[in-house]
Amino acid sequence: MIREIVENKAQVEETCTKAYEKAKAYQDKLNAVITFVDPKEQLENLPEEGLMRGVPIALKDNVNTKGILTTAGSRILSNYVPIYDAAIAEKLKAAGAVVIAKASMDELAMGGTNKTAYIGPCLNPWDTSRITGGSSGGSAALVASGVVPMAIGSDTGDSVRKPASFCGIVGIKPTYGRISRYGIIPYSSSLDHVGYFTRSIEDACITLQVLAGRDDRDMTSSYREVPDYRALLNADMKGKKIAIFGNVLDAIANENTKALFFDLVEKLKEKGAIVDTFYFNEDLMKAMLPTYYLIANCEATSNHSNLDGLRFGVRETGASMEEIMTNSRTKGFGPLIRKRFVIGSYGLFEENQDKLFRKAQKVRRKIVDELNVCLKDYDCLLAPASSTIAPRLDEASGDELSDGYLVAENHMVIGNFSGYPSMTVPMGFEEGCPIGVNLTCRAFEEDMMFNIGKAIEEITGYENLIAEVK
Amino acid sequence: MNYIVTIGIEIHCELKTVTKMFSGAPCSFGRKANTCVNEIDLGHPGTMPCVNQEAVAKAIQACTALHLEIDPLVKFDRKNYYYSDLPKGFQITQQFHPIGRNGYVTIHVDGESKKIRINRIHMEEDTAKQFHLSTKTLLDYNRAGTPLIEIVSEPDMQSGAEAQAYAEAIRQTLYYIGVSDVKMEEGSMRCDVNVSLRPEGSDVYGTKNEIKNLNSISNIGKAIDFEVERQKKILESGGVIEQETRRYDDKTGETILMRKKEGNVDYKFFPEPNIFPIRLDAEWIKDIQDHMPELPEERMARYQETYHLNDHDIHILIANKEMCQFFEDAMQTSSNAKGIVNWLLGDVSGWLNKNNASIETCNLKPEALVKLVKMIDEGKISSAQAKELVEDLMAGKDPEESAKEKGLAQVSDAGALEALVQSVLEENPQAIEDFRAGKDRAVGFLVGQVMKKSKGQANPGLVSQMMQEKLKQYQ
Repeated sequence: MIREIVENKAQVEETCTKAYEKAKAYQDKLNAVITFVDPKEQLENLPEEGLMRGVPIALKDNVNTKGILTTAGSRILSNYVPIYDAAIAEKLKAAGAVVIAKASMDELAMGGTNKTAYIGPCLNPWDTSRITGGSSGGSAALVASGVVPMAIGSDTGDSVRKPASFCGIVGIKPTYGRISRYGIIPYSSSLDHVGYFTRSIEDACITLQVLAGRDDRDMTSSYREVPDYRALLNADMKGKKIAIFGNVLDAIANENTKALFFDLVEKLKEKGAIVDTFYFNEDLMKAMLPTYYLIANCEATSNHSNLDGLRFGVRETGASMEEIMTNSRTKGFGPLIRKRFVIGSYGLFEENQDKLFRKAQKVRRKIVDELNVCLKDYDCLLAPASSTIAPRLDEASGDELSDGYLVAENHMVIGNFSGYPSMTVPMGFEEGCPIGVNLTCRAFEEDMMFNIGKAIEEITGYENLIAEVK
Repeated sequence: MNYIVTIGIEIHCELKTVTKMFSGAPCSFGRKANTCVNEIDLGHPGTMPCVNQEAVAKAIQACTALHLEIDPLVKFDRKNYYYSDLPKGFQITQQFHPIGRNGYVTIHVDGESKKIRINRIHMEEDTAKQFHLSTKTLLDYNRAGTPLIEIVSEPDMQSGAEAQAYAEAIRQTLYYIGVSDVKMEEGSMRCDVNVSLRPEGSDVYGTKNEIKNLNSISNIGKAIDFEVERQKKILESGGVIEQETRRYDDKTGETILMRKKEGNVDYKFFPEPNIFPIRLDAEWIKDIQDHMPELPEERMARYQETYHLNDHDIHILIANKEMCQFFEDAMQTSSNAKGIVNWLLGDVSGWLNKNNASIETCNLKPEALVKLVKMIDEGKISSAQAKELVEDLMAGKDPEESAKEKGLAQVSDAGALEALVQSVLEENPQAIEDFRAGKDRAVGFLVGQVMKKSKGQANPGLVSQMMQEKLKQYQ
């Protein structure tokens, strides 16, 4: 879609204006946008050339945009107008992309439902009684509903790949360091990745081309050269080795999901893929979620210590500086955030660090070691991205300690633990709602990931799926 | 009872770098408030730290000068606490892996030399500056993010004098290698002193008190002397020392309680996730160490060896890097080191102090001082006459010219002096008699008469020599 828009130079203005208007028109139904950005000025200042020239896009609202409200879905930042652009905002602008919306998200990107956004939940374009998933729910909804062909998200646990599954689109989380995080309001620095949504693998290739590359402002960004992903793209599966994530399939109760998955696997085999099942140590599997929560919450509580109402953000009154800080933080955050900060703080206490934070990091390493064993022999690790289609808005989140939840719903954090590239591609439907398949590859092998993704896309035919918003 | 005093010192020094520790904003002192800041210094959401290579190089220079071992794997940690001067809600520091460990500095107190061990040097960033007014607090973020090194001593000092000498030695070393401005009054060097007392014979340290707010080297000694007496009084009256943070009030010369310490604050240190460990290139470190500026102790040795100056002169000279530079410039053309030093430390320093001036900004040029010393050495003017030239000299005038203007010239011509000597002898027969009677001071009297007759322009050395010679005939 991106290529068509860029090539159709004469209609660029119309395309962007339409996207902007469509986003507005859908707002009542989807509640996907926190701030609408009028494309007019950007259209007047488009570069002559660019891989995304004139392509309307949305940014998750934790991507800093100079002069444009950026809230990270939190009340405490509900008046925050950044004084600088995120590195990727600069890159997208240079490539000619036109921002039409700042998309809704779970507060500070913590959450998997998009229900904790301070503007209220974002709704699934396929069925507005269902959630989009989170935390990048607004971005996912805007891509799935056909408003924009690409939207930026961020992925700390599975915040791009889970909503991609629930919304029937492609969700990409490249290798840690592939895209600069400078200017992305963080959640957990060692797990945070810039990710994005598209409706085709080709668009995913073009977008990574634009976003990837070293940025001196992010010391964790990679110096590695950025290959021409689109030129490398082919769907040839001959000899590709795929490991099915055995523990995850065992933990999924939903027969339809499994049927869709194994049907896909059969077709990959027909295309020449070699497929085996790989089992991780089950204890490590069950440790994944607690490990994730500890590391993420510990880093988050520190990362968000700057939100004190003093220099920016919503400031509450108080008799002293300390009181201002305390009041601003107490009123500025939702209950889930406060809970996570408490957990994170507890995990960082000197007397707790050994048995909590540092232990979590050791477990993280062990999990990555297992993944390395797997990816030494296989080109990718494959599993359903979720066990079911998107839950309904009022559905309870379920027993967080059941195997089904621990393993089936949270295995994608393995991509964040390792930093390896991971993506979700649509795999099928149930009750008219989509569900995706997830694959994780070796570090910096995005080209391999795209090729397998392309093969899946060819098998399913789910290229450019657009939900009809009702 | 006698007590053993134990003192440890933590020194924070701002590194003299172009930009900040983790951001590209300029480092500054005395600039308009909040003009040297960017989004990183203000702790805006989404910002990330980028390590300043120049700061690391300066830290390595400091470590090298103070004999610390360098850890080639640079790591940073977060120190988490909420305070209004801390923009991010955490400070990036090096808690677990300081850049330098196990060094020392040599101090000289009462003619004794002593090695004070340094436990560690680590890099970190400075906080914003707060100005508390009666109804509000103002914040200046220009200082936020300025690179700092913290130098932590072992508790090796036992008196205010030693502590003062230690701080001075650190100050002088860092000043020499140019890594910091080390101005205590401006806060580019800050000392926190820990003092504890224990009874002689005990090997258990007493409870320590920390003294902050020391704004000069001499206040370190004064504060410690006061604190030692204060603690001694408490102990001698059977009291118990509580762990406290105190500040020094230089008006009253006393230390004042700031807060009692109730347990240690938990800073929840953990490794900074946005800075991967950086492996320093061994060649790069070596290159920095091979190109170190001369250290004070090296310069001392060189001055002893090359110029044969005495310890006293060397110590005073060394303390002023600019004066040293002037001295060395002068020594390019002078052969009388002692003469130059005497003038620099004597009349020149006196004039500078009186006029609140400094050697590097005054009008005196090394060549002029060299010329003046040479004029004295060659007997063209006397030392006494030279002193009359100080004002002109400091105003930048050529000493030869101003001597001429003032009509100052020393008569060293043998014929002219001979005539003077002869006439004085003729006019003072009584003095000759005295001399013959063995009264030595008669010689001095006669020389004095010659000087008087010459209006002070006769070369006193030559006159004296001549007079002795002449008087021999009367013996």
